[in-house]
Amino acid sequence: MMMQHYPILAIMTYFLGAFLIVIFGKARAIRNAVGFLATAVPLCLLIMLVKPVMMNGEIIAYWMGGRVPAGGYAIGIALEVDALSLFFGLLIATAVFAAMLYSFSYMSHDDNEPQYYTLFLMLCGGVMGLVLSGDLFNMFIMVEILTFAAVALTAFRNTVFGALEAAFKYLVVGSIGSSCILAGTIMLYAQAHTLNFAQLSAMIPGNLNVATMVAYALLFIGFCTKAFLVPFHPLAADAHGAAPAPVSVLISGVLTKSGLYGIIRLTYILFRTMNLGSVQFWLVFLGSVSMFVCVTMALAQHDFKRLLAFHSISQIGYVLTAAGLATALGVSAGLYHAMNHTLFKGLLFLCAGAVLHETGTTDLDKLGGLSKKMPQTTVLFLVGAFSISGIPPFNGFASKWLIYQATYQKAVESGNIGFVLVTICCLVTSTLTLASFVKVTQSVFFGQLPKEYENVREVSFGMRLAMGLLALLCIVTGLFPGLVTSFLTEPAARAVFGANTYINAMMGAGYAEGFGLVDALPVSFLSVGVWSPISWLCLLMIMLLAVAIVAVSTKYDQVSALARTAAAEEAAAAAGPRYGSGSLAEGKYELFFGGEETVFSQVGGDDMFWGFKHNWRHYFSFMHNLHSGIVNDYSLWAVIALALAMLYAIIVL
Amino acid sequence: MFQKLITESTGKSPWLFHINAGSCNGCDIELVAVLTPRYDAERLGFKLTGSPRQADIVVVTGPVTKQSLPRVLRAISQVPEPRCIVTMGSCPQSGNVFRGSYSIVGPLSKYVDVDVDVAGCAPKPEAVIDGLALATKILMEKRGQKK
Amino acid sequence: MTIIIDGLRYLAYILIFPGFLFCFLTGLLLCGIDRKLVARMQKRIGPPILQPFYDFFKLLGKETIVPAAANKTVFLLAPLVGLAAQVVLQLFIPVFQFNAFHGVADVIVILYLLLIPALSVILGAASSGSPYAGVGLSREMVTVLSVELPLVLVLLAVAKTVGNAIGTGLCFSLTDIVNYQIANGSLITRLSMLPAVAAMLLIIPGETGSHPFDAAEAETEICEGMLAEYSGAPLAVYKLSHAIKLLTLTSMFVALFLGGIGGGVMAMFTGVSPVVAGSVGLLLEILILFVLCVVLVAICVSLIHAVTARLRIEQLFKYYWTVVTGLAAISVVLAWYGL
Repeated sequence: MMMQHYPILAIMTYFLGAFLIVIFGKARAIRNAVGFLATAVPLCLLIMLVKPVMMNGEIIAYWMGGRVPAGGYAIGIALEVDALSLFFGLLIATAVFAAMLYSFSYMSHDDNEPQYYTLFLMLCGGVMGLVLSGDLFNMFIMVEILTFAAVALTAFRNTVFGALEAAFKYLVVGSIGSSCILAGTIMLYAQAHTLNFAQLSAMIPGNLNVATMVAYALLFIGFCTKAFLVPFHPLAADAHGAAPAPVSVLISGVLTKSGLYGIIRLTYILFRTMNLGSVQFWLVFLGSVSMFVCVTMALAQHDFKRLLAFHSISQIGYVLTAAGLATALGVSAGLYHAMNHTLFKGLLFLCAGAVLHETGTTDLDKLGGLSKKMPQTTVLFLVGAFSISGIPPFNGFASKWLIYQATYQKAVESGNIGFVLVTICCLVTSTLTLASFVKVTQSVFFGQLPKEYENVREVSFGMRLAMGLLALLCIVTGLFPGLVTSFLTEPAARAVFGANTYINAMMGAGYAEGFGLVDALPVSFLSVGVWSPISWLCLLMIMLLAVAIVAVSTKYDQVSALARTAAAEEAAAAAGPRYGSGSLAEGKYELFFGGEETVFSQVGGDDMFWGFKHNWRHYFSFMHNLHSGIVNDYSLWAVIALALAMLYAIIVL
Repeated sequence: MFQKLITESTGKSPWLFHINAGSCNGCDIELVAVLTPRYDAERLGFKLTGSPRQADIVVVTGPVTKQSLPRVLRAISQVPEPRCIVTMGSCPQSGNVFRGSYSIVGPLSKYVDVDVDVAGCAPKPEAVIDGLALATKILMEKRGQKK
Repeated sequence: MTIIIDGLRYLAYILIFPGFLFCFLTGLLLCGIDRKLVARMQKRIGPPILQPFYDFFKLLGKETIVPAAANKTVFLLAPLVGLAAQVVLQLFIPVFQFNAFHGVADVIVILYLLLIPALSVILGAASSGSPYAGVGLSREMVTVLSVELPLVLVLLAVAKTVGNAIGTGLCFSLTDIVNYQIANGSLITRLSMLPAVAAMLLIIPGETGSHPFDAAEAETEICEGMLAEYSGAPLAVYKLSHAIKLLTLTSMFVALFLGGIGGGVMAMFTGVSPVVAGSVGLLLEILILFVLCVVLVAICVSLIHAVTARLRIEQLFKYYWTVVTGLAAISVVLAWYGL
């Protein structure tokens, strides 16, 4: 049974890679080889686990040192891989692999490369350890590792303006979050005398009291900071703005997933509170607020990476909303979106990195017209932008579409009209996302090319390979939603609702039933909608082919054909002098505007959606004043959020 | 047959682009008057477009001032072939009362091949419609020649 | 053998009816009728009804200029993709009982597929590099944003009403919505649907960018906006997909609210052999659909065009997010409580 050892091997490979790079990392070849292997091996290991865990529904338990539970108490340290853990593990391994591929050329001009790769792999190991861990205290240790690695990576380019400040903010608020997790862990330990997940989740649901509820609130807020949900979103914006692009991929695609994983694990399995309407309301409310606030914040940004950072949290809001519905379809849709978020957000951050790498800036007002210089990056960016805005048939649409259905179905089933507002909020957010990506496309890749970027070139093959990998995954997961749901998200959602199976797999058969627990909800993934992207794509392709054949076959446009002949050019040249100084042929292919050599009058990123922002000006100025950028304020928000969560937990639950 | 259809259509759907080359606004108003319910040039398919890229007929008013000349030529050159250039009013043809002024570089025909001149200060709408209809015929001929 | 016949049948669906040829003819015809109606309302004679066809063919024969600043591939490909997406969208909208491609897309998908043509114009405009196009696309995006919210509400209200009635709670399939109406009468007769009908009538001109809501292509202020740099065949393609959009939205209105009318047609053919009844019935249904589309265009496009002046973009946004959204929201609430 080699399979038992895969989880620990996956985690250890990252850490081993980190240590090897510290020792041998001076030579580039060795460093890259170690980095490649340290990210490729865990990915392969996890892919090999797909068959037993996802398809056969096995749960892999690994007890370190062979200390299996005895007498109903789990004393040893455990790793567990159920479908939920494996799902998040796979996402993380994929994103990390792509980011590593990208780093090889992206970071090649930086100093201190060995340190970068060490921290990078420590972060990966931390997140992987977190999602595969079966033990609350281990989870805390991993949270600490990943937080500090992330802080250090944020400030890695400490010459960049704002990098140290961002890292400091992240350090302060992140530490508050970590302390919350520690405090929650301690309180649970005091109550239940165990740290093992399976045992805790068997014991806690029967013993909900004020202490466990406070612990619940503490853990919840702790994981919220890791996922950067509102009110912790300003941290992410600062961190992403300063960090190198592959690190942004890690922070957005990987680190936030650890927070989400924690929240799902906590609410569904550890406390089994998701059948309570108040918890559903809590999660859905938080998710919807994050979704909407962050997308409007993103509209107001004019820095490429900050904009992406806010979108990242907005999409996490979708995931949380869907997961908070506590229906099988909702959880499955949410997990699907979590996966898509990792893929398209990774892709978009890498594209932003490519732009930064070539031009040295991510300011939307300064960039423009890069599509002529970086055509492949443009196409890859468009794939990412379409995906995140939910344009069919890309993957963002498939998952958002499931989320709309799940929310509306929930509204109908529960008879609560409030969930209709959630559906509407999701749909409007999606359109606003599209709007802000139209803004990015227009300001960065189209429009007129500023003079200083005349010599910009396409990025190197390694970087394009990493982006291409993610773009391909975006398209594939969008075109085959049926495969994704049946092989990845539905098993994971089943695991979410099958806490008893999980407990029994870890603690021995019949353990959960001994506590009188029954799995709460029937699992049905039925959705009312119909969407078959392949058929649509086939139709579109046939239609496009037909239209294109008609367009190309007959040369209607005889004049331009004529104009291309040499004789016509000669005639034009002969006729030229007649037109005097302002030659008639000269301006033909110029843009239609005055023609003066004035400052180029493109619409700036800020004014792009004036018609929208004017009507929301009070909201925007309120938000502007609120986001002061002072770390004291953000810490205060964290404390207020914690206090509210505790109050809510004690009073309502 | 298809080419014939296109040529026929060219004669039925002439779109106008109006350039003011320093006009006193008299002709400009008259051009818009052509599209009003009383004269309704749209029944012949005429339509004012906002961009030279979409136009078939360029209507130039005004005596072509020094300032406007490069812009006029630039805008005319941006009109795709086949195109027709119509001058409206006496100004672009002769300079009218502005003739001899230091800032006038007209007439327009010094710089481009003008297809139709509609004289008058300002020309009557009937005359304008007549001129435009003539320009439409020339447009069809141009399209036909290029076969 | 059956595969070949099926293949040919589907090819006929795609290329002839309800695909490309049908869209081409009816779309441009609707557009021509609209222009004629507006002219008559303004006491003008107006262009011939076939005017959009002339415009289309003329534009095909014009020179196509690609500006030097433009990204040529995107500039030329965007109109084609937009047209193809628009026509494919029309395939999913049932003509009463006839539905060429059942089970590919539901209402929410259609909502998103409607974005693709708009997005293709936006991308094409962005790729041209013109500052006018920049202003135009920003306005177009805000228009899309404005219309999206009420449209979503209308669709949710319909989904809830039909879902309540057929017992599944909610129903997103357009075919099921139409079939329900054929069995039980059109939705327009429901009290709860009346505000949604009004909202949808106001959404159609916004979505097609027709007159009071055409800030995005204001030819007098921003030089045709997004289409400022387009000439010749690509422009013709844009005009065509715009015309088809008119058809799509009006026939969507028919499917959502007037679907019941098709039931009466089929009832007339009881006792006639099914093949004859099928083909003649279909022809009649197409005719009825077309007449209804014309009526809708007359009400919500031509009439509003003739009597209003253009709104500024922020007025447009406000209008849609207050008045029209309010109407649609009333409908959702009424539908929720089963009226």
